[in-house]
Amino acid sequence: MNEDHEHRHDHHHDHGQDNSGAHAPHPTQPDDVSLPGRYEVMILAMRDLLIEKGVVTADQIRRGFEVLDSWQPSRGAQIVARAWTDPSFKKRLLEDGNAAVADFGITMGETKLTVVENTDTVQNVIVCTLCSCYPRAVLGLPPDWYRSKSYRSRVVVEPRQVLKELGTDLPDDITIRVHDSLADLRYLVIPRRPDATEGWSEMRLASIVSRDCMIGVANPKVLANE
Amino acid sequence: MTPRLAPGDRVQVVLTNPPGHRRTPFYIRGKQGVIERACGEFANPEELGHGFDGLPKKQLYRVRFRQKDLWANYRGGEYDTVDVDVYEHWLTPLPVLAGR
Amino acid sequence: MKSDDLKFTSAREPGRGYHDIGGLDYGTVDANVTEARPWEKLSVVLGNAIGRSGTKLICVDEVRRSREEMGEQLYNELGYFERGIEATRRLLVEKGIIEESELEERMAQIAAQIAENGR
Repeated sequence: MNEDHEHRHDHHHDHGQDNSGAHAPHPTQPDDVSLPGRYEVMILAMRDLLIEKGVVTADQIRRGFEVLDSWQPSRGAQIVARAWTDPSFKKRLLEDGNAAVADFGITMGETKLTVVENTDTVQNVIVCTLCSCYPRAVLGLPPDWYRSKSYRSRVVVEPRQVLKELGTDLPDDITIRVHDSLADLRYLVIPRRPDATEGWSEMRLASIVSRDCMIGVANPKVLANE
Repeated sequence: MTPRLAPGDRVQVVLTNPPGHRRTPFYIRGKQGVIERACGEFANPEELGHGFDGLPKKQLYRVRFRQKDLWANYRGGEYDTVDVDVYEHWLTPLPVLAGR
Repeated sequence: MKSDDLKFTSAREPGRGYHDIGGLDYGTVDANVTEARPWEKLSVVLGNAIGRSGTKLICVDEVRRSREEMGEQLYNELGYFERGIEATRRLLVEKGIIEESELEERMAQIAAQIAENGR
């Protein structure tokens, strides 16, 4: 079971005064009728207070959601597909990731996109053991397992076993290189391009590059009927 | 500023467990590794974490550790490594090995 | 040195922060993936809005430091997004940007509203 479980507390208080202040609509899921936990309520209250205090605006929040929605693994897949087909792009990507992904309109902000390449002898695997740093702009939010204490604690010491738990069996003769990203570098793995993809378009190539491949815990697969 | 350490330089991570915000993980403290590359200068997160400006900037290095040097019972590949982003003030250069 | 004397340290090894878990064994990795809920996404958006890429009220290093000070029990009880929210709360209170009591008051109001009207 994912140990990142959520505490659920019942909050039933007497009605206090009406909240008649500026009250931006809460982000909702129409079919979610579960009781909110303490931290769901907390982040809503924090947002409302910060807006009222003029620290942030509702518009900033709204635009922030749009930015967050633009962070998707499909972006990373496009980058990988281009690196696979365009050697000069790959060279630029490896030398200066931020500059190269600007071709796609992607900005990394304060962090430095650092791209590492799998070879036929080396598999790169990314982790942040201290918290869960992750290249969100090109991969979206990190998956539950990446954020888990299990992954953070064990992938640096038994990477092969951890990859197996995530569904990937690596041959014994592959060297595993784990990257613990603890500073302002954010890592992206270019997986090896499968031989069976000769002549494929960038779009078709991107379709086999999953998020897990770009973290380094999986490798792209070409299905028999593709 | 030119980095003081170059790729291939052997280094030892300072063995200390100070309080406060640190980004050098426990598992590499006191261990030996090799500079893989210099990564540029950044404001010191140990100071930023406590509200200071973190200046002057410090050089960040990617340090490569052999897994077998980190863990007594490592059961994986002979050449498996962990690369960790470490700030310069946590690294002590080691003497060049004879014959290099 | 008793480990509960120093909130930042873990019970396992003196001097190892409880967040500093590389090399320890927290069990089998659960490969199951869930979509972040709207309030979890809000925590990311709000964090960005007041951080370095926004109004620069706080910085990510301070949030991390705050997370490393909440104590081992809380750190182990809370989920990923909850830890981020708790760390941010502590930081905002520390900096005098919000008061603990006004936050709790607003939380009570919001919880009551959701209980009555849904989300």
